[in-house]
Amino acid sequence: MDMDVPDQAPIDGLYPRKASGKRRLSYASQTSGNVRMASTTGTLSRAGQLRGHASTLTVRSHAGSETDQTEIHSPVPTRHFLLQTESHQWLTSGTLSGSPASSRPTSPVSAVSTSFPHDGFSSTSPRLGRRQPALSFSSLHEYGNSTSKDRKLPSASGSLRRKDDDRGEDGVDAGMGRRWIRWMHRNRMREGVLPCSIGAALWIKWCVGLGGYSGAGTPPMYGDYEAQRHWMEITNHLPIRQWYTYDLQYWGLDYPPLTAYHSWLCGLIGSFINPSWFELDKSRGIETPESKQFVRATVLVSDALVYIPALVFFVRALHANRSKRTQSLALLSLLLQPSLILIDSGHFQFNSVMLGFTLLALNFFSQGRDELGAICFVASLGFKQMALYYAPAIGSYLLGRCISLGPKAGSRLFLRLAITTILSFILLFLPFLPPFAPLTGILDPIIRIFPFNRGLFEDKVANFWCASNVVFRWRSWLPQPALVKLSAVLTVLGFLPSAAQLVFAGWKTMDISNGADVPKASSQKKDVVVSVPTLPILPWALLSSSMSFFLFSFQVHEKSILLPLLPLNLLLSGSPHDSFMFNWGVLTNNVAIFSMWPLLKKDGLAIPYIATTFLWNYMLGYNPFRKMTHRRLLRYISLIIYSAMFLLHITELLFSPPRRYPDLFPVLNVLISTPVFVLTWLWSIKRGTEVTWGVVGLSLRPKSSKRS
Amino acid sequence: MSNVTFPSSASPGISTLSRREDAIHAISSQSPPVRKPAQRKSKTTSWWKLDISPSERDLLIASTVFKVLLFPSYRSTDFEVHRNWLAITHSLPISKWYFDTTSEWTLDYPPFFAYFEYLLSIPAAVVDRRIVDLNNLNYDSWSVIVFQRSTVLITELVLAFALLRFIRGAVDPSTQRIISASLFFHPGFLIVDHIHFQYNGFMFGILLLSVLSARNPAYFVYLLRAFCMSPQGKLQFARFLSLANIVIAVFVVSVGPFLLMGQLPQLANRLFPFKRGLNHAYWAPNAWALVTALDRVLLRYARKFGSGFAVNSEGVASSSRGLVGDTVFAILPNVKPIHTFIITLAFQSVFMIKLWRTPTYKSFLCALTLCGFVSYMFGWHVHEKAILLVLVPLSLLAGENHAFFRTFILASVAGIYSLFPLLFTPAETLVKILYSTIWMYLVFRPLHRRVYEFPKSLPMVIVDQLEKLYLAGFILLQLFVTAFPILTKRLTQSQNNESKQNFANSTEPGAHPIDLATTNEGSMEFLPLMLTSVYCALGLTWAFLRLSYTYIKSSPR
Repeated sequence: MDMDVPDQAPIDGLYPRKASGKRRLSYASQTSGNVRMASTTGTLSRAGQLRGHASTLTVRSHAGSETDQTEIHSPVPTRHFLLQTESHQWLTSGTLSGSPASSRPTSPVSAVSTSFPHDGFSSTSPRLGRRQPALSFSSLHEYGNSTSKDRKLPSASGSLRRKDDDRGEDGVDAGMGRRWIRWMHRNRMREGVLPCSIGAALWIKWCVGLGGYSGAGTPPMYGDYEAQRHWMEITNHLPIRQWYTYDLQYWGLDYPPLTAYHSWLCGLIGSFINPSWFELDKSRGIETPESKQFVRATVLVSDALVYIPALVFFVRALHANRSKRTQSLALLSLLLQPSLILIDSGHFQFNSVMLGFTLLALNFFSQGRDELGAICFVASLGFKQMALYYAPAIGSYLLGRCISLGPKAGSRLFLRLAITTILSFILLFLPFLPPFAPLTGILDPIIRIFPFNRGLFEDKVANFWCASNVVFRWRSWLPQPALVKLSAVLTVLGFLPSAAQLVFAGWKTMDISNGADVPKASSQKKDVVVSVPTLPILPWALLSSSMSFFLFSFQVHEKSILLPLLPLNLLLSGSPHDSFMFNWGVLTNNVAIFSMWPLLKKDGLAIPYIATTFLWNYMLGYNPFRKMTHRRLLRYISLIIYSAMFLLHITELLFSPPRRYPDLFPVLNVLISTPVFVLTWLWSIKRGTEVTWGVVGLSLRPKSSKRS
Repeated sequence: MSNVTFPSSASPGISTLSRREDAIHAISSQSPPVRKPAQRKSKTTSWWKLDISPSERDLLIASTVFKVLLFPSYRSTDFEVHRNWLAITHSLPISKWYFDTTSEWTLDYPPFFAYFEYLLSIPAAVVDRRIVDLNNLNYDSWSVIVFQRSTVLITELVLAFALLRFIRGAVDPSTQRIISASLFFHPGFLIVDHIHFQYNGFMFGILLLSVLSARNPAYFVYLLRAFCMSPQGKLQFARFLSLANIVIAVFVVSVGPFLLMGQLPQLANRLFPFKRGLNHAYWAPNAWALVTALDRVLLRYARKFGSGFAVNSEGVASSSRGLVGDTVFAILPNVKPIHTFIITLAFQSVFMIKLWRTPTYKSFLCALTLCGFVSYMFGWHVHEKAILLVLVPLSLLAGENHAFFRTFILASVAGIYSLFPLLFTPAETLVKILYSTIWMYLVFRPLHRRVYEFPKSLPMVIVDQLEKLYLAGFILLQLFVTAFPILTKRLTQSQNNESKQNFANSTEPGAHPIDLATTNEGSMEFLPLMLTSVYCALGLTWAFLRLSYTYIKSSPR
């Protein structure tokens, strides 16, 4: 009998992870079931058993109808009250954040969970035998909510929440993605959400690929498309030694070896289907429909093999304690990210492979498999040198991780990381190293990969140099080497705060006493869930470091904005609708696509530009014109930016630029976009600091002693 | 299966009937009544004061975005045909519309379509003068592509409107919403309208909205019986006359101007070209495709074993080369237009009689579907696009019960697959396959859950398994169709090389290598198409038989 008492009463507080809509129904059905049972049999003890039946019955009668009563769920197995109080979630769910816009509150997460009195109940045993402050990635949203002004106190009655949920449930804000996922769940097609999302994303990518690409029909040089195709051609017909030296004037290979190997594989398959597509020199500028479709297909397949699995892994691993629906929505928003679709499938590049490897690295870090993560990041670097934008964050994260493990375990990890990294780099460049090539052979790819002989910036790109060039005329003031140094200094200053945060956090969580446990832990590594305290800082650090590279470094392309967008979108995925994160994140995304408009316009991708951007915003339910009771400033800023963007588009459509300033529109574009990127960069530093503070506090003493 | 009933035959039948009446009055008086939705949720937000719930708006927007993304995709010659018609109707007086031969794509659609093109040509001239230039043949700049593609999108809103009204009046709105969405997202429309380029969405919107299409006899009988007869069986003359007037008036509006100008013979000449053959270039998968295939098989057999068939030498030449022209059978007796006409009429009259006995809405829908189906199965020179005539009304029945649903699945899969050869370009292969697969999953799964019945007898279990086997066969078929050209290409290339070498080595004349290669390729080129056609024809014939049986056996109560 004792066990049944808490069945009803504390249910509101004890199941914070369930949607309140869900809870409402099960509560209602439960009550009716209980009442009926109590009146007929008079024994409360059976009510608990029958509760499940009652709820399923209710549910069945409503199945298929469109009201929100159909929120179906299996009966929740009830644990003993004492066990429940030990629940991770319960202890840390002080804030049942009522986010008005999302249909369910954000999952309470183990944001600031401290040690537990009864370790026996906890299912997770951390790697080093000591409970670190358990922190998950999605705790950031929780954190963001708890700092927001509209924070609601948890109410026992739940009436407040219910009202908010109604708005979220059928309100316009919920977004198409969430509505669709909800429909799928209601119609028992839960398992179909993932394949359908991936299928739809692939379909959209392919459809974008039906349109124009970089340099279509513009001999003699064509564009990025021809460059990639040309590499497939030369890697298949030339010995490896000549890859980086053959006819450099015509799209010489200037990406690291993994791209070359990838091109070789694609070219090999293509030559099997039709050898004329990749004939040496003869196939230059080939644009037959079949060859075009094949080259397009290589992007799609690489994307499907690297980037999409990485996204699924990410959603499963780093949003693990969010609801299934939020996970699906996060995946959908990441899959349909318009900027990446437009550049990879439209303009034609293989960015998704590089981003996918970085994302895999992040996933492995979250699992505590730092060595695998390091290998993945080397692969990312080996695919495109642009992944260097992430290097400061990843490097300082790993450094912080080594520090936090304490001197003994930390130095072991450091050694392992160093060896794996060096080995994978050697493996990557193996064909250019001594047994296979003379020692000078390594110089060919290196020189090609890092071109310091080009200008400060090429086209109009929305970074600091190009924007301030309107006023300062950097290139006439300073000689080239000085500019290189200046940009390097500014870039380092730009990512220094975030790198410092990671190292600092590692130092703060340092554990001196635990070196002895390491061998034991590593032997059990497989079934151990590792908690990585500094992980939540990493995406912010990735964002701020890549953004500082984009803004301040030398020779930046407008496409490089994709690099800051990856961590931004990871953070954005699954964030509640009224959060600053969501609104600012979508704004930055839209501005980023806008900043690439001159490029897309050149490629003839105007229609996909509008369509995919609109679809993504609509799918997320983003509406900058919605009246917000709070965050007025944010709303005004977004309104100003959107109207500026809109005006520029209209002007460009109606008028041609004055003869004196042929670049007027691209420059205006840069002037609109750059402030947003600068603000995002500053904001990422600020939030990184806040998260660091949330994770480890700001006092300068490391926690040296083990809590008991 | 034999006890299929029409559940909505009692009171919902009356309500739908009155809806029809309303529609007729609305059309005759030119003032459509403002219809309040049957089930309006309090939470439904008004969106621009349109009566659309968020989920419906989602569907509309998603479909529009998907279709906009297809703007740069493959366009058939129909695109240029329609552009030419824009030019004809805009730059020529009405008296010359049906006589113009500047382009090879002369105007050969009925007058209403010509008026429709005339309306479209007014904004077209504003967007870009060169669209409506009669001599600007094969014009394909961005302006014309975007303009013509968006006209398809915009006119398709008629279909959306009709489908929305289906939801509003439905007994089970959530099922009807799935069906309506399935029609709005139908791969058939996507393939034929938005890639291949036609205005079927608009047509079917009108078909679904109105009863004007007097071409289909089912409309006649239904209107005659349920609308003009009182329950006692007396003819209500006023109603009959109003109905007759409407039909005549519409017909006069359509043909009138040409009648006045004395151009009817020319019009008829353009609209009904009887010079074409029994089969289209790519055999539409109907009964005649099966018969033609049987003829080919018999010919092979006769050649090999020399049995006592009288081989028609003309038929041997007229093989499956995919030429537009008369199909002549080698073994089987030839089919004349009159034969197809009689068979079609005979089948249709059977369904008409059934409809006369059970004049309910569901029965009407079923008869409508079957009439379309008969025309498709046995018609003369049927085009594969005509399968939409079957699939659209059949979809409306899909949520009724399991028998209809199963027929719907079979017909949809076979019918949609039979449209795939319309898009032969490599780029669209993935588009059509991926889209159709996702569509099928999202439509079939929820409907299946709602209507599923376990097969009750052993024959039904066997049929059920066979049908599943048939559906699974499409995967193999697609693999074959994809791999075949690549394999034959490699094969002929190697053969070519060999024969070239032989030719170079041997001194004897006559063995011309190129001839050899082309003949080899030519005989095999149409094998995937033929196989597709025959395989789809099997499924569609079975679906036709299944639906007819279900309909004939169904009891009114």
